[in-house]
Amino acid sequence: MYFCYMNTFQEIWFLFRKELTLEFRQKYAISGILLYVFSTIFVVYTSTFDAGPKQWNILFWIIVLFASVNTAAKSFVQESGTRQLYYYTLVNPVAIIISKMLYNTLLLLVLNFLAYGVFSLVLGSPVRDLQLFFIAIFLASLGFSITFTFISAISSKADNSASLMAILGFPIVIPILMELVKVSQNAMPGSFDSSINEDIMILLAIDLMLGGAALMLFPFLWRD
Amino acid sequence: MEKKLWWKLLCVPILMYVIIVGLSIPLSPGITSMTQYTANTGQTFTTRVTTYNTFHTKAKEVKARLRKDSSLIIAGQNVKVLDDNNIEVTFTIPAFMPSSREQERFSLDVDNDFDGYGTLPGKFIIKQNNIDSLKGAQVWKNTNFGDLNQRGRNFPFRGLLFETIRNTFFHVPLWFGMLFLFIGATWNSFMYLRTQNPARDRKAEVLTMVGLLFGMLGIITGMIWAKSTWGTYWTWKEIKLNMTAIALLIYFAYFVLRNAFDDLEKRARIAAVYNVFAFVAALILINVIPRMTDSSLHPGNGGNPAFGSDDMDNTLRMVFYPAIIGWTLLGFWISTIYYRVLNIEEKILEN
Repeated sequence: MYFCYMNTFQEIWFLFRKELTLEFRQKYAISGILLYVFSTIFVVYTSTFDAGPKQWNILFWIIVLFASVNTAAKSFVQESGTRQLYYYTLVNPVAIIISKMLYNTLLLLVLNFLAYGVFSLVLGSPVRDLQLFFIAIFLASLGFSITFTFISAISSKADNSASLMAILGFPIVIPILMELVKVSQNAMPGSFDSSINEDIMILLAIDLMLGGAALMLFPFLWRD
Repeated sequence: MEKKLWWKLLCVPILMYVIIVGLSIPLSPGITSMTQYTANTGQTFTTRVTTYNTFHTKAKEVKARLRKDSSLIIAGQNVKVLDDNNIEVTFTIPAFMPSSREQERFSLDVDNDFDGYGTLPGKFIIKQNNIDSLKGAQVWKNTNFGDLNQRGRNFPFRGLLFETIRNTFFHVPLWFGMLFLFIGATWNSFMYLRTQNPARDRKAEVLTMVGLLFGMLGIITGMIWAKSTWGTYWTWKEIKLNMTAIALLIYFAYFVLRNAFDDLEKRARIAAVYNVFAFVAALILINVIPRMTDSSLHPGNGGNPAFGSDDMDNTLRMVFYPAIIGWTLLGFWISTIYYRVLNIEEKILEN
């Protein structure tokens, strides 16, 4: 009854809060992912890998990429199908996908900053331009969240959703990843590209294009 | 029936024209090598020039010259024809050049009345021992060379490419064809989502399948071309190669996704959703990323994904544009046949 009097923005806000509440109650996603990030970084550390800025950068984004896939993969399988059906009868499907994307963006943002913290604690941080690097982290959270949330919505419809997630998601996320590596590489010493603002705009444009397509297509996807 | 057939009938003569004309028009005369690439001012030297696709023995007169743009011209003397593709020519460089630079790049022209002229652009270097541009302006005398002979209808000769320039009529139009097929597939997927008509989904599936086929052929023709020009089948320095390979992976995943569902309606709907999303992602991979990266070996780099305007000439265009139309029509033709095959298979299964 409560939902009936809401507009889309209120719906998004309400669903977003529901995701947060669920997370705080279970602490399932965040603790699992943190464990994953810590253990991966520890593996890198114990291999006594001598990381230059370039290798550091690539390693960081690969770890973030896999952490993001694992985080976003749970978006649509965490709750039971019947409960999801209940949401769909109550609210606008666009509100559901937007709230999930926002929640995942926030989660990935927290996760990426934590990963950066642990990374620089263990391996040291070669980052020279912190502002630019944080912009890259923010755009990464946004882009990964948009792509992987939508891909998880698709793959959750199949039985073996985990493997589908990787097959469908990785090729699509590669342009975002390439731009991220390029932008964050510029935050390291020893490389300077004056057209980096253009790259940031392109990254944002890719995020928005994929996001727009996802919002347009999701209403066709949820019905079962 | 005839109304439906016209574009298929059009496709056959166009492709025959592309293949016959594209493979039979000769390359224009060109210069592949010379025995000496540098000279000093005041030097007289004899060099042997190897040319390509020329018939010097059939010509009445063979001429050669070194030139910088059209301002400085040195004509060669005592041109001796060794055989159809080799001549020996003597150049006398004046003692001073009207230039204040240490060295200048010259182009070599070889011209005869049978084939027309061929050029080796900017390969020959003349070094100055004593730089004195004022004296150079007094001493230097351009030789009167006369007009170059006209060439016939030829494809341009480019060092490195040689005869492989004909791959322009296969490699590049296949990518165009793939793009048009994917656009058709995306349109059909979009229409499926609006109308829930299973025929739309099947059309999207066959168009994607044929588009994928064209993409793979594009990669294979490109790899063969790369082997002969860049010396390797696959290279990580080439952004377009790798991005298109990933774009094809996205479309391979489309078929993996289709096979993940048993329920036909669900399969059609989710595949259609993914197909539209995949097209957006593939567009970014093929058309956005390569344009902003410098690490490409393709011609027309830094903006144009294919040939720059310098690389095309009117003879190439005469075959290239029909090739795009021809290969695209062939792609749609194959997909209509495949569409009917799938329909018949379904009918057999039903009975």
